[in-house]
Amino acid sequence: MTMSHNAVRSIFSFFFFLGRKARKTKVFFLISGLPVLVALIIQINRLFAPGSGIDGPAIFSSVIMAFNLQFLILVLALFYGTSICSEELEGKTLTYLTTRPAAKSAIILGKYAAYAAFLILMVAAAVILSFLILNVERLLDLSAWLAMIKGLGVLALGLMCYMAFFTLVGTFLKKSILFGLFFSFGWENIVQYFPGSTQKFTIMHYLKSLLPAASTGSAGKLSFLTFKLEPSPAGTAVATLVILTAVFLGLACLVFSKKEYIFED
Amino acid sequence: MVISEQGYVHWQGTFVERRFPWWPITRLGIRLAFKRKFFKFVFSISLLPAVMFSTGVYISERLDDFQFMLKGPDRLLEVNPVFFKSYFTSEPLLFLMVMIMVLAGAGLICDDLKYNSLQLYFSRPLRKRDYVLGKMATVFFFLLILTLVPGLLFVLLKLIFAGSFKFLANYPWIPVSVIAFSLLVTLFFAFYTLLVSSLSKNRRYVSILLFLIYIFSNVFFGIFYSIFHNPYFCLLSIQCDIQQVGAAFFRQSPQYDVPWIYSFLVLAAICCLSAFVLKRKIRGVEVVK
Amino acid sequence: MTAVIQTKNLSKWYGNVLGLSDVSLEVEQGVTGLLGPNGAGKSTFLKLITGQIKPSIGHVAIQGQDVWNNYPLFGRIGFCPEQDAFYDEMTGWEFMTSLLSLYSFSRADVQSRAEKALDFVELDKDKDRLIRGYSRGMRQRLKLAQAVAHDPEIIILDEPLNGLDPLSKRKVIRLIKDYKEAGKTVIVSSHVLPEIEALTRTIILLHQGKILARGDIHYIRDLIDKHPHMISVKCSDPRRLASSLVGEPSVLNIQFGPGPDTVVFETQDRDKFFGLIPRLIVDHRIDVEEITSPDDNLQAVFDYLVGK
Repeated sequence: MTMSHNAVRSIFSFFFFLGRKARKTKVFFLISGLPVLVALIIQINRLFAPGSGIDGPAIFSSVIMAFNLQFLILVLALFYGTSICSEELEGKTLTYLTTRPAAKSAIILGKYAAYAAFLILMVAAAVILSFLILNVERLLDLSAWLAMIKGLGVLALGLMCYMAFFTLVGTFLKKSILFGLFFSFGWENIVQYFPGSTQKFTIMHYLKSLLPAASTGSAGKLSFLTFKLEPSPAGTAVATLVILTAVFLGLACLVFSKKEYIFED
Repeated sequence: MVISEQGYVHWQGTFVERRFPWWPITRLGIRLAFKRKFFKFVFSISLLPAVMFSTGVYISERLDDFQFMLKGPDRLLEVNPVFFKSYFTSEPLLFLMVMIMVLAGAGLICDDLKYNSLQLYFSRPLRKRDYVLGKMATVFFFLLILTLVPGLLFVLLKLIFAGSFKFLANYPWIPVSVIAFSLLVTLFFAFYTLLVSSLSKNRRYVSILLFLIYIFSNVFFGIFYSIFHNPYFCLLSIQCDIQQVGAAFFRQSPQYDVPWIYSFLVLAAICCLSAFVLKRKIRGVEVVK
Repeated sequence: MTAVIQTKNLSKWYGNVLGLSDVSLEVEQGVTGLLGPNGAGKSTFLKLITGQIKPSIGHVAIQGQDVWNNYPLFGRIGFCPEQDAFYDEMTGWEFMTSLLSLYSFSRADVQSRAEKALDFVELDKDKDRLIRGYSRGMRQRLKLAQAVAHDPEIIILDEPLNGLDPLSKRKVIRLIKDYKEAGKTVIVSSHVLPEIEALTRTIILLHQGKILARGDIHYIRDLIDKHPHMISVKCSDPRRLASSLVGEPSVLNIQFGPGPDTVVFETQDRDKFFGLIPRLIVDHRIDVEEITSPDDNLQAVFDYLVGK
């Protein structure tokens, strides 16, 4: 057990460090900063057009958080989750990890933890900055901070759950990105419109149950963000997400340990 | 004794003018795309809108038999410029075109960068423009099958099922619009795909970016439009720009009160950016003059 | 001597393609050369014994333990893979220290081992450069460094001398011989015959996924008695030497050249031939500059065995 903990910790450090340095991380950091840009534009507009009726805090909770919840964490989790296995195969660097005294499950868990950690940091930085910009008049309002922290928690949980799912997908599918795109922007977006229990077959349902404010929006062009939510209780939602994360990760470790991976020449 | 460099060197011979020097590159790109199992499936799915609209053409001439369909929106049932505009600017079609590019186009340049194949290309009698044309032609092949071919097929089917040239007499410019818009949207997507493909050696990363830029441009338009209610934000969205230009090409009023030429300029700017980046990226290989 | 690596009926298919077929062998302490042309199954064999892939049939054990998914075993194994693949965005130093940290070494130990390994492969001056900027030879040396940095008992090297300059090759060959003297077990694969010859006399020949031959190079050579041996003599009077041997029944063929002072004899009985030469040289007062056996090397062995 001690050896496994050490291995997970070592692999975590290895990939946390490597992930931070990677060029693609910088690109995704900029992408995750787009809501900050949106927030800045909105605030600048409010400065120059004070009677515009734009409510910064409302935009933060219904637009920025909705964007993060329904798009950003999906894309980040898809890319990094599938990368856990796929990038080692494509780069043919898997050998360096599997010829060390580290369990294969430790490789998956360590890498998952590393990527989840800096993705959460990335998203958190963007969310906090957007919050500060859009809630500049309410910075002393504790309830606003609590709502933001709650939102961050939900985003982090969502990121971890989606990443665990895509990690599993990446361990057994070659075309994991394509499957992931269809899942994220097909299944997750379509099935949530289904009434009754069907929507419970999406991860997004449980996330939106925890953040209903981020699930509604005005009509018109934001209609893609509205849907017929029949929320689950918060406790159930959190428990389901945690269990799903654990199950996906467990399965990913199992598949990765049992499967042999042959590099394409 | 002169020691010669044994590595790849740029082709020093004369270029013999051949017809279609870019064709081998195109042929390879098409063949590689069809080798992917998932691509065939997605490509078949992407033909569904064309099949649906073709059925619409048939039904439009048999309206009496399909009375029950008149209850709903009738845009599918009357073959007019609106019909063509609906097909060419439909969100599902544009989305599927992006998916086809993710599958068939993501690796066009990024795989060559990853495996240093540019040296192999340019040590043969091949110019840079032939290389780029060959890659673009791969994209053209797939996207014209989804745009130009169905468009002209709709016209042909209409004429056949109507049994007269009345349609062409009423709208003689439609075939020209079909050809022009098909070429325009295909050219844009070709530039867009090659631009993103040249940005990285990692195909998965390119696939995500191709999809992400398209989707996010739409999302951010939605966000800004809902907040500021300013139609000019539609210029942020690639999808809206294509739809604005499409409306103009089929002589319909665009969805947003923005001159269509602005959308055209946005698309053109992306194409110019792509040309600039491609020139730099392909020039980056040491043996290339 | 106890076998370090044992395989029994080891076979591997990649779909319909046979990678390895029914390989049963034992590898003992010391240096063993794995020789074969491209596609012979060398890399497949090495991947099987390092647990990278699973056998289709049979099994492989290292020090009596099954290899597949037995990660504690890898504390004692060092593997230098054939493929040229790295985490390009790391520096050489980061790469070495990151991989060494996966063992139970202290931080100080990790750093000293990394320094020692990089120093040995002469990458100490370039350790802070990104691997992306390394030349082919530097990357090969780095691969070797990561295989030996943790001082393993068993070292498996897949084409380790690829891309190295002659000085580096000599250094690596010296290292491998040092490992042998230290009682370690080394398996080296190559398709470059002089390299294997310089490293070891114990070889395993692989061809089309099967073991073609194994043992001492000279023992293998003796297996093919019926094939004549070529002996080249460079001397002051090759024609007189040739005329004195032309009547000898065991001499099958005599050829002059290359060069005016060389004669090549083809004989079925090398030992008898070498018994005759000294007497003839003395009797005819011939100055001999050199006697060599051009086919007493791996290329000749391999060619004979595969019937080329």
